This record gives sequence, C-alpha cells and structure tokens, in this order.
Amino acid sequence: MAGRGRGRAQLTFNVDALGIKRGEALPPTMVKPSPLFPPMQFQPVPLQTGEAVDYMIALKQEFRASTKNLPFHIIPAKAKRDVERYTDKYQTSEPKNNTIEWTPDWNRLPKELCIRVREPQKSKAHPSMKRKKKTEIGKQEVIQKLETLQKKEEETKSDEEEENEEENKKKKREDDEEPEEENDYDDEDFEDETDYIMSYFDNGEDFGGDSDDNMDEATY
Amino acid sequence: MADVKVKKESTEPVDIENRIKELCSQFPHGITDQVIQNDMPHVEPQQRAMAINRLLSVGQLDLLRNANGLLYRLKDTQSTSKVKGSDNQEKLVYQIIEDAGNKGIWSRDIRFKSNLPLTEINKILKNLESKKLIKAVKSVAASKKKVYMLYNLQPDRSVTGGAWYSDQDFESEFVEVLNQQCFKFLQSKAEVARDSKQSPMVQRNSSFATSHEVWKYISELGISKVDLSMEDIETILNTLIFDGKVEMTIIAAKEGTVGSVDGQMKLYRGVNPIIPPTGLVKTPCGLCPVFDDCHEGGEISPSNCIYMSEWLDF
Amino acid sequence: MTTQEVRLCGLLLQEHFGGVVEKVGTHLIRSGALTLRAIVQETNMSLDLVKKSLCVLVQHGMCVFGAGRRGPGWPVEYCVCVERVLYMLRYPRYIYTAKSLYGDTGELIVEEILQRGQMTMSCAVKTVADRLTQNMEDGCSMDYSEVVSAFSNLVETHFLQRCPLVAEQGSAPPPTTSTLETAPPPPAITCPPTPESNPDCYRLPQINLRGRGKRRRSSEDGEDQRGGKKPKLDNGQPVGDEDIYWQVNFARFHLHFRDQGIISAVACKLDQTSSEIVRTMLRMSEVTTQPSAAHTQPLSANEIFRALPPSYSIGRPILDQYLTLLVDDPMEFVGKSGDSGGGMYVVNLHRALANLARATLESVVQERFGSRSARIFRLLLRKRHLEQKQVEDFAMIPAKEAKDMLYTLLSENLVQLQEIPKTPDHAPSRTFYLYTVTQLPTARMLLQRCYKTVSNLIERRLFETKENKRHLEKSQRIEAILASLQTTGAEPTQLQEVEEMITAPERQQLEALRNHINKLDSSENQVDESIFLLESYIKSAGTTR
Repeated sequence: MAGRGRGRAQLTFNVDALGIKRGEALPPTMVKPSPLFPPMQFQPVPLQTGEAVDYMIALKQEFRASTKNLPFHIIPAKAKRDVERYTDKYQTSEPKNNTIEWTPDWNRLPKELCIRVREPQKSKAHPSMKRKKKTEIGKQEVIQKLETLQKKEEETKSDEEEENEEENKKKKREDDEEPEEENDYDDEDFEDETDYIMSYFDNGEDFGGDSDDNMDEATY
Repeated sequence: MADVKVKKESTEPVDIENRIKELCSQFPHGITDQVIQNDMPHVEPQQRAMAINRLLSVGQLDLLRNANGLLYRLKDTQSTSKVKGSDNQEKLVYQIIEDAGNKGIWSRDIRFKSNLPLTEINKILKNLESKKLIKAVKSVAASKKKVYMLYNLQPDRSVTGGAWYSDQDFESEFVEVLNQQCFKFLQSKAEVARDSKQSPMVQRNSSFATSHEVWKYISELGISKVDLSMEDIETILNTLIFDGKVEMTIIAAKEGTVGSVDGQMKLYRGVNPIIPPTGLVKTPCGLCPVFDDCHEGGEISPSNCIYMSEWLDF
Repeated sequence: MTTQEVRLCGLLLQEHFGGVVEKVGTHLIRSGALTLRAIVQETNMSLDLVKKSLCVLVQHGMCVFGAGRRGPGWPVEYCVCVERVLYMLRYPRYIYTAKSLYGDTGELIVEEILQRGQMTMSCAVKTVADRLTQNMEDGCSMDYSEVVSAFSNLVETHFLQRCPLVAEQGSAPPPTTSTLETAPPPPAITCPPTPESNPDCYRLPQINLRGRGKRRRSSEDGEDQRGGKKPKLDNGQPVGDEDIYWQVNFARFHLHFRDQGIISAVACKLDQTSSEIVRTMLRMSEVTTQPSAAHTQPLSANEIFRALPPSYSIGRPILDQYLTLLVDDPMEFVGKSGDSGGGMYVVNLHRALANLARATLESVVQERFGSRSARIFRLLLRKRHLEQKQVEDFAMIPAKEAKDMLYTLLSENLVQLQEIPKTPDHAPSRTFYLYTVTQLPTARMLLQRCYKTVSNLIERRLFETKENKRHLEKSQRIEAILASLQTTGAEPTQLQEVEEMITAPERQQLEALRNHINKLDSSENQVDESIFLLESYIKSAGTTR
C-alpha cells in the first residue's frame, strides 16, 4: 500500500461490487454533511392554554421559589467569603454544614444521621414558644452518651474483623438496647445555647475528620 | 331494484355486450351460455339472447359446437388474417400472448414458453406491436415491468390497479380526496344525529351509514372520473378506520336489503379521538429529528437547540 | 434505572433541595442501597452534608432505610425511591387537584405537606390557617376548625395518610441463633413498611386545637418557614398529635387522575351524559375496588340508577340505553358482567388505560410523522403482522412512500420488522418480512423519551435563566429598592426615576424571558400528563399479565 497515496486503494470495500469499473471516477462524495438541525417535518402542537393551565404554571413557579427558602434546600458552607454580595443581607444566616436548620423528628430517622440542630436565629419572633424543651437534649447528657458510645464503637471496631457472626449479633443486640434510652432525651428540660451537639457518629480516619471547613474546599 | 345496483350489474344492452366480449376474451377457447348466465344472473334471458344475437350478427362472435354443446367465441378475424404471412415464430409468440388474456405476459415469460432467444422475441414483439396486433401495458405490480396482451383487450384490474391508477401511477391525491369526502359525509351524519336530541340509542343508530349510502353520496358528488364500485368505497372507508376517524360494525341484513352482501351489511360512523394530542408532542423534543444526539454540553443540546429557540419565540 | 430517569431525578432533586442533596441522591440511585459510610466515601463529601441530605430525603419519603442486606444489627442502608423522586414533577397537579376538590384550604394543605414532606396535622392546620389569614381582609382570620375540616376530608378520602411507622432500626427482632446460619438475609430495605400496613393509616388523631390563624408581620416573612415546626397552643399545652405525621398519598391522587382520564375519554368518544354515568360508577367503586384491579367491582343498573345525581335527570330506560351503548362501544370502557339487578356492569380500568396509552402512541406518530404514517402505525397496531405490500394496499399509500414511512418508523423504533424464513437457509428471497407494532415496548420507549424531554425542558429553563442572570438580578434589586422606597413614602417622581433604571430593551428582554419560562414550565406540566398515562398503562400491563 505504501506510496499509493490517498487513492482508491484506501477504500475498505471492493468498488467493483458497486458497479464502478477500474479507472472510472468515483461518484462525488455525498452532498453536503447533513445539517446539525435538519428542518422539522411538523411543528409542535400548541400548548394547552386557559385558566387551569396558568394556575398550574403559577403553582409550579411558586413551589420552586419557596423550596429555596425552606430548610431542606441545603447550601454548603462557603469556603471563603470573597466579595460581599448584596444578597448577603437577605440571607438570614451563613449556612453551616455541621448544623441542620430544621428539627427533624429523630425518632423517625436512623440515629446515625443525628446532627446538631440550629435554632432559628430570630428566636425573638417566637418569644412564647418553649420549643427547646421538646427538641433538644441536655449537654451533659449528650457528652455522657458520646463517651459511652465512643467506647462501644471502639470495642466493636477493634474486634470486627475477627469476631464471628454470632458474637457480632450479640453485641449488636446490646447496642440496640442502648439507644432506646436516648429516645427520652426529648423530655429533658434544658435551656441554654442554641446549638447542641447531637451527632455522635464516629467517623474515624476514613472520613478525614469532622472538620467541615476543611472538607468543603475539597468537595466544592 | 336493479337500477341502484353498481355498475357491473348494469342492464344496459351496451354493457351486456361488452361484458360478454370481456368474458370471451378471458376464455379464449370459448364460453357456454351457462357461463354468461352465471356471470349476470340479474339479466333477463331475453336481454341476454338479444345481446348475443347482435354480436353474432355484426361478426364479433363465433358460434362453435363441441362435446359440451354450443360455445361462443370472439371472432378472431385479426388473428387469422393479420398473422398470415408472418413466420411460425411470430405465430408462436402471438399464441402465447393470446393465451395470457387480459392479464398480459412479461417478455421473459414469453421466452420461457417459446424457448426463443430474447433478442428474437424482442424483434417479434416490436413487429407485432407495429402491426397493432399486440400492445405493451405497464403493470402496477412492478413499475418498469411491461406486459404484453392482444391489442383489443381491456387490461385486467391487476394490471391497471383499478380505479386508483391512471396509467400505472397510483393516484394518491385522488385517494386522499375520497378519504376526506367520505369522512365529511360520516361526520355530518354523526352531527345531525347528535343534534337530533333523540334517545341515545336512536342517536347512535342514525349516526351510522352503510357503505352503500357512502357510495351513493360519493357517486352523486361526481368527483370521480371513473366509476367506483362499492368495494372501492369500502377500501377508502377502511383507510378512515386506520386513521382512527371511523368505526365499522357488521350487522346481519335481510337478503336483498340495499347495500347488503351475503346477508351482511357494513355500517360506518365517524368518531372522535379519545384524547387531544398528547403533551409530549406539544414540545419540540417530542418531534425532534436529532433527539438521540442531544446531550447537555454536546454539539446538539437543549441550551443551543434551534428548534427550542424558534418555538420559545413563536 | 435508565439514564434518563437518573438524569431527571438529579435535576428535580437539584431544583428542590440543591446540589448537595442532588449529589447524594443521584449517587444512591446509581448504586442501589448503601450505608452512610459508603456514601461518604464514594461521594467524597463531608459527613455532615451527607447526613443532612439523607435527612431531607427521608423526610420527604424519597429515601427508605433499613437494616442492610446482611441483616438486622448491621449498618443501616439507604435506598432512594426513584418513582417518588419523579413525583416532584407532578406537584402542581396534586396541588391543583386538591384545590378543585377541597378549595383553597385543601390546596394549601397539600402544598404545605409537599413542601415539608411530612407534617403533623396540628402543624399543617396552623400553618395553613396563618397563610389563609394573611390573604384575608384586615380584621378577618381563618378559624382552625375550617382547616381541620378540610384536612379531615382529605384524610377520609385517602388523599392524605399517616406516614408509615418507622421500623426502629435497633428494635428489629434479632434472628434466633438456631436459624442464624441458614436464614437468608431479610431483604429489609427492599420492602419498607407500607402506609397501609398501619391500621390507623387513615384515622384522625384527637387533637386539642382551637384558635384562629394569625397575621404575620411582613418582616417575619420567610423566617418562620425556616424555623422549627413543633406547634404548641398559645398556652403552651401540647396539642396531642406530636408524633403523628401525615404525607400525601400519591397512589390515591393517581387513581383520581386515572379516573378523570377515563371520564374525559368517554366524554370525547361518546358524550357528556355517558361520561357522567361512568363517573358515577367510578365514584361508587372507589372504596370497593383494589387500586390495581383490572376492572371495578360489578355494579347493577339499579344501583347505578340510584347513585346518579338527580341533577342529571336520566330516566331508568335511558340509563339502560346508555349502558348498552357503553358496552357496545369498541373502546369497551364499560363491560357487562351479568344480568342480575337489571344488568351488572363494570368499568374496564386496564382496558381503558391500554386504550388511552394506545391513543397516546398514535398521537405521537401522528404529530411527528403526519397522518399517513399514523395510518400505517394504527394499521399495524390492529392487524399485528403485515408484509409491506399489504401495508400499501390497506393504507392505500403508494409503494415508494409507504416504504419510506415504514423505514422511518422502523429507524425510530416505533415499528418492528420480523423475518420469517420459509427455508432453513434464511435466504432473503425466501423470507417473509413482516412489519409489526408492539404496544407495551413502544410505550416504554416513549416514556423514556418523555423523561428526557422534561430534563431537556428543565435544562433549557436553567440556561435561559442563567443567560439573563444579570437582568434578573438588576430587576430584583430595583424592585427591592422600590419596595423600600414605598414603605418610606417616597415621592412618585422618585419612584419613577428608580423604575426607569430598567431600560425599555431590558424590560422587553425580561418579558421575553418570562414568556419563555412560562412556556417551558407549562410544557413540563403537559408532558407529565403523557408520562402519567404511559406509567399507569405500563404498571397495569404488569399486573394484568
């Protein structure tokens, strides 16, 4: 093939099969490349219109707008403040990764998800509400709990590999009983600061520490 | 009753004569009176006899006798006289074409039957054609395929394609016009029924039209150059069924009811679709020809889509 | 999970909960079930953000959790319900339906619960009463009792239900030692508790809630939303339903949509009165018929007659005529199942869905490829298998055109070609080529197209917004200034000056943007109608088989 240049020899099929004889010029290559957006054969049917349709549009847009103001819209903490933005003053508070801006019913969630609950900043807006009573947990209680849990966690961890299944189950069962007490924290009467540590998940080395501020730069 | 029958059942003397000639050409060896009688049961024996006699008297028919009795055959003045002088090969080819009747025969088949070389056959065919003994007819079955038949024959429906073909071209527009007209008829019938404010059952029943009614309406409109049969109209009505615009029900009908065939009658009515166009086709994406090539960030993407831009600004 | 479903889920999660939750959700959808530890490792996100995201997803019923594959006692695993995530697309329709059934109060209740995923009744009542009060004239306020009554209606008609009980992950009974070796791991996560497994699913709690909605000062607007949600009476007494959470029963809404679809199809095909009869039959069957049943429980003509609203003024003989016509109709929306009680009738739910889906497919072919291609498509749907020549003859379309159309439909996967060799050597000349359309796979394919279409619409909307970001921000800023000027009582000329900071072309561009966004949003809603029909049909075809 060498030296024959870009000729017919480069074709991957036998041109004779197409009825083209040797020496005959190949037909010109297919017209132009087809356009990126070839004309559409038909136009879309007009959208339905009317009062109901407009109302649905409004519902959709309002819903979308309101989700941005709900605590479920999670904004990662800013790594660094670059410039002051005009929107800053409308933001009630800087998002923090290690607090949750609403009060989930922890009874309905796996315990490992527990995370500090941040009280709404403008607590003066609800002066009469003593909500803390119900939803928060005594600091001492937490610290105590953390200690016992950490101990346990370490135990399980070190043994995990060697332990046979049965032993493991037994241990888990013990663990299972333990958390039951925790459900009672709701009834603790405690009133203090707004942030309470509820996260007791031991993330160990695997998670590169608990410091979100460090994590954030890497993630976002 | 006979006067509302469709065209092939006409009792005009001319039509009867033509039909007899057609029959004879289909059976070149001759037909008995019984065959004619079977073909047109509605024609009075007297009319039939008159027609045959006239054809005999003007020398278009031959009366032969064989073991089964009397036979009528087309008087083949041309065949005997005009082939005279040509050689045996020409005679053979002519015979093969004659045997093919009004369905015609393809030159390649003539070659198989005659065992003559194709070049020879082409020469003979040209010769016969120039003498106006045979003609070439383009068949609708396959375009570019010519079939040969005797010059005086009316090509069969399978060759011409029937009412829907002019030359061998399918008359698409004609079909669509008929499709629309039939629908219009059924639709207005359904509307009248709906507005009648009668009991629901009466309303439904009066929205139906028989194929005969539709045939009559179309015939009276006079939009067709050719005569259409009831079967032709039913073929059109079927396209409307596949368009989702018409429903058909078959009911039992008393023998002899107008428009009934074999004790059955086909009823048609216009219907509405059950949904308006679905949401998907109200967006450019629903109709997009390059949908599968569309990816965000790609050469074709929702952000740079020109269909979308045009549609948004419309 | 198809690529299109994952992509749409991602966009919807992003839109409602932001990029963090989107990342966690999408990863979970792709991976199936994962532990918290695995999610953190695999997404490389901070633990707290993953936790928060999971809380959000669980709160909204979009994520279930349970003891992992390895059984109780092992780390909890999380799993995202794709179906549930996709329902976010349908939120406007749920809310609108609640409005048309139960008025503004019903609308706000459903909207609030959708926004928060789950709510206690007392919390919902207070929030809605406050919102309604906000919109009333000065001096008026909404009584809680009115909201309670709308809420009760929604529960009684099963549009709202209690959230399923949480299987306490620690309290699952440990397997007995004897079966420990052999027992297969319980598939805890694959079958989360259904709401209906709770016998109290539709039981209203006794609540001690009296009062009226309060007007919020505008400065507090929005604050409250981010805040806590456990309501107390003003006197601080607990209301009594603190641990009973309610969610929207999507399945019930879907039955309602299905029924509405059938009713309007009957109205189109037959007439208004026929559709009202079918409406009555469907209403009577709501309680007696299983959600996935192929047809309603049989109803006698007598029963139907008694149940017809008197305003229809249909006489008994006329009803019989209508029923006969409904049964006779080729769509077979209604079937006759017996002769007792003046004739027993059912609504053929699955057949109706199949008809509606078929009409949807036909509509797509019709609008995209024209009515003659649609003729071929319908022809193949009805006649199953046809050779090309037969297609030409039945459809009365010239050979060349028919061939082109068949080829286009084939390349778009709307039509299939079957080869049936007459001889074992599969020689093309001795092979039948039969064209065919298969409804169910075609419906599945078009459903995917709908998902991709919605994703495209969302992407385009985001793009349009991004392109006009500068204008949007400017106009927002100016509006903010205007608002503050108005409260301080500025001169009209001053206001006008500020207003004129937006130039005419800018105003025009903003107006165009608004139109574009409306069009895109409306399309999303309308494509969702196609999605709903196709999903319902595919689901029903799965249970019929």
